[in-house]
Amino acid sequence: MEAPRHNRVLPALILAALVAWLGADLVSVAANRIVPGEGIATLDAIGWGGMLAGTLAMLSVAVLGFRPNPRKYRIAMAVTVATLMALPAVLALAAARQADSDMPQARLGIGPGFWVVLFVMLLAMIELRTRLGGSRLNGWALMFPVLLSWWLCLSWWLEPLALLQEFRGRSDQFVAAVLYHLALVGAAVGTSLLLGVALALAMRRFPALQRAGFGVLNFLQTIPSLALFGLLLAPLAWLAANVEWLSAIGVRGIGWAPALIALVGYSLLPMVRNTFVALSEVDPGVIDSARGMGMSRGQVFLQVRLPLALPVMLEGVRITTVQAIGLAAVAALIGAGGLGGFIFQGLGQAAMDLVLLGALPILGMALVADALLGALSERLRPGGAK
Amino acid sequence: MIELFDVTKRFGEETAVDGISLRVESGELCALVGTSGCGKSTTLRMINRLIEHSEGEIHIDGQPIRRFEEDTLRRRIGYVIQSTGLFPHWTVARNIGLVPRLLKWSPERIESRVDELMALLGLPRETFADKYPDQLSGGQAQRVGVARALAADPDILLMDEPFGALDPITREALQDELRELQARLHKTIVFVTHDMDEALRLADKLVVMDAGRIVQQGTPLELLHEPATPFVESMLGGDDRGLKEASLVTVGERMLALGPRLNATARVHRDATLRQALAVMFREHADRLTVIDDEDIPVGELSLQRLVGNTRHE
Repeated sequence: MEAPRHNRVLPALILAALVAWLGADLVSVAANRIVPGEGIATLDAIGWGGMLAGTLAMLSVAVLGFRPNPRKYRIAMAVTVATLMALPAVLALAAARQADSDMPQARLGIGPGFWVVLFVMLLAMIELRTRLGGSRLNGWALMFPVLLSWWLCLSWWLEPLALLQEFRGRSDQFVAAVLYHLALVGAAVGTSLLLGVALALAMRRFPALQRAGFGVLNFLQTIPSLALFGLLLAPLAWLAANVEWLSAIGVRGIGWAPALIALVGYSLLPMVRNTFVALSEVDPGVIDSARGMGMSRGQVFLQVRLPLALPVMLEGVRITTVQAIGLAAVAALIGAGGLGGFIFQGLGQAAMDLVLLGALPILGMALVADALLGALSERLRPGGAK
Repeated sequence: MIELFDVTKRFGEETAVDGISLRVESGELCALVGTSGCGKSTTLRMINRLIEHSEGEIHIDGQPIRRFEEDTLRRRIGYVIQSTGLFPHWTVARNIGLVPRLLKWSPERIESRVDELMALLGLPRETFADKYPDQLSGGQAQRVGVARALAADPDILLMDEPFGALDPITREALQDELRELQARLHKTIVFVTHDMDEALRLADKLVVMDAGRIVQQGTPLELLHEPATPFVESMLGGDDRGLKEASLVTVGERMLALGPRLNATARVHRDATLRQALAVMFREHADRLTVIDDEDIPVGELSLQRLVGNTRHE
């Protein structure tokens, strides 16, 4: 198959980025936390020089996609990384230009134009990494300078950024919320992994269980999350009131207990399904020859079936984890805490930056979990270590 | 030596193998041939107890197989299947060393045995030892499969359509290799195939099965000369069966050794089959061929009459 002469993805991406860069509001400025911000376009936010520099950088990435070769791709990658590194500086520049001694309370909001450019350039980076065919590790190494630049700018020059101000006000809470979120997700995924594998093994052993088992799990999956929390409220409250040791370890009608149960409930289906399918779909010829060579049942399971099923099982863990990270946000509604707390507070106060303070780390956690588990499952693929 | 005494296998109501008796002598290659579902694979898998027989007895070297523990029995019997069944997450070397490892050989002994087998099967160690099965061609993978089956030097080898998934050229090459291996190793081999040509090429003893029963057994030539039923005859290719016989006999067996008249120009090697000789005659429009040996020296003459087995007029 002949490769296309031109890369069509990069120009399309860059076109979207340029439209946002030149046409949409880059940032917004509000006099204080209460009033809605006023949108500011790129030209007004960072001036001609900055706007042109950004435009040229993006255009060059698109142009390098014509008649591409590895060298051009590497240059395009360098430009993309540089652009991503420059983006926080763009915010800092905008903040400096809008600084007004009359309005010490002024807050800088991130506008749609900025988000689109950030998002599109990240996509361009993924596209370029795929084309260059580097290892996952290389891809992550490239993120390092970008993150460093963001961290530097956030530490020193982005004081007026609303998001940062929301963080400053509750940094202790924030760290606690992130840890709590992680703990909740970890406990849910861990529990459902143990339960899921046990269930899948039971279903393989007793095929009669299959229909009923998957029926129940599918049904669980269809209950809306809020409804499930509500349904758990009464029985758990009753248990807490009547069983002493349960209330002693903190089980209540609201809080972490119903959140954990609901998360485990939702996690079970993907976990059981992937484990079951993974174990069942190991090439029967391989199992036959393993038996025929004189491996015992235990040896066949531990040395052949399980290792061959592991990548698909990990796929289940990946799906479950990403799903649980998102769902755990909703659990804040029943007092389970976590990052969802910021989201619902922000929604209540119409403070979008507070919503972002909760939503962005959830997004980040989901992406990191997805990438890590994806890489692990790829690494475990038969002969995939090469 | 493998013996089956009136062995039957039922799956529920269905009878897959119906009272068959069979004796495979030590060092003999016995081919089970038949159409799909005739019970030939079931028969093979009963020998290493992957399937338990319902009735009758199966003996290995005079001992009923049920007297052995299943896994112990299987580690003594090599097993090769069509899909190779190589473990995709293990390297070639590790795959070959499977049974020795199960038998708890020392690592050094396993390594030298793996080396030996890779050399035997024409798989250079440097190239193949660290490859994974997915990186091999079909023929290479099946060579590894055979090497794995031979690893613990079993007396018995069970092969279930081992070359069925290969292209014709690779299949023939592997058939030749198996013949050479067998000439050296003298294993007792039960070989299941639906390909009659393959069975005729390889087998010392041919067993034709149909609907769970043995229809006829004997040497390839016996079956070709006297097919017991129309079914066996059609399995042997009907009218083509003469040609199949011709490919079992070499020119050397029929030629007139260094006759008085060596004026034929077309030549054929002494070890070629009569079928190949016939093809040369056809191509060269000749009814006589000069038979040569490895050094290209004429050693005899083959006439069309001799080729077809008519020696009266010579």
